[in-house]
Amino acid sequence: MAYRVLIVDDSAVMRAFIRRIMLLSGIEAAEFLEAGDGGEALEILRREWVDVVLTDINMPGMDGEQLVRRLEQDDLLKSLPVVVVSTDRTESRVSQMISLGARGYVKKPFLPETLRAELERVLGASQ
Amino acid sequence: MTENRWGSMLGSTAEDVLETMFFTSIEPADADAPPNERRLAVRLWFTGIPSGKLTLRVSEASARSLASNFLAAETDDPLPDAQLEAVVCELANMICGALLSQVGGEAHFRLSSPEPVEPGDFDPDLRPMKSLNLADGHLELWLELEEHAA
Repeated sequence: MAYRVLIVDDSAVMRAFIRRIMLLSGIEAAEFLEAGDGGEALEILRREWVDVVLTDINMPGMDGEQLVRRLEQDDLLKSLPVVVVSTDRTESRVSQMISLGARGYVKKPFLPETLRAELERVLGASQ
Repeated sequence: MTENRWGSMLGSTAEDVLETMFFTSIEPADADAPPNERRLAVRLWFTGIPSGKLTLRVSEASARSLASNFLAAETDDPLPDAQLEAVVCELANMICGALLSQVGGEAHFRLSSPEPVEPGDFDPDLRPMKSLNLADGHLELWLELEEHAA
């Protein structure tokens, strides 16, 4: 099955890296959509359907924490799986994001197989 | 924590980030960068416990190599300077985030967006906390912490 993936990160080179790693990992992606912050991501999600959102936390504008909160409050979008990809490796941050509604968390730096395993777990669980 | 301890953690964190995300190994010995080498520098601020700023400077040749690895550039054309700078910014961001996750306990922190630093903004007398040899150049790191009010 090929997935539609929304990557949310203020760094264009980080979005490109995630795209490449996903393709290298053998995850079938039908299409990648990209947003530079949470607000842009919400705009995309109001008009496009995706299978999973990968989001950074630390972004100017609407950050990843606010994005997850907004998705959880939205009846149409609350079931959408969100995986956080962040440099914040503290367990308190991981717990916080999971309790807010994120389904997965990948800590930077990460190996390609780590991202793949987390995506497979999250996408498998959402089917 | 002593400056030596900070330097050691900074070095091991940078090594982890370089190997995992940039597919780049570092040499074990520290070295000073040659003074005439063309270099790119970026800086970011962090708030939390601790607060401060991290500055990263890397030789242009190493920056090109790191960017090429990170983006898997398949062309012989040199990457545009803006893309080179963006990759160096991302490297600094990852090193800083990974370091703070180790030293700040479970306290949350915020990172500013890394910004380029002009050569004139450097204090020539301030030695890097960590200087690393890469295959085709050097990478230097400065970590400056703010004093906390009691």
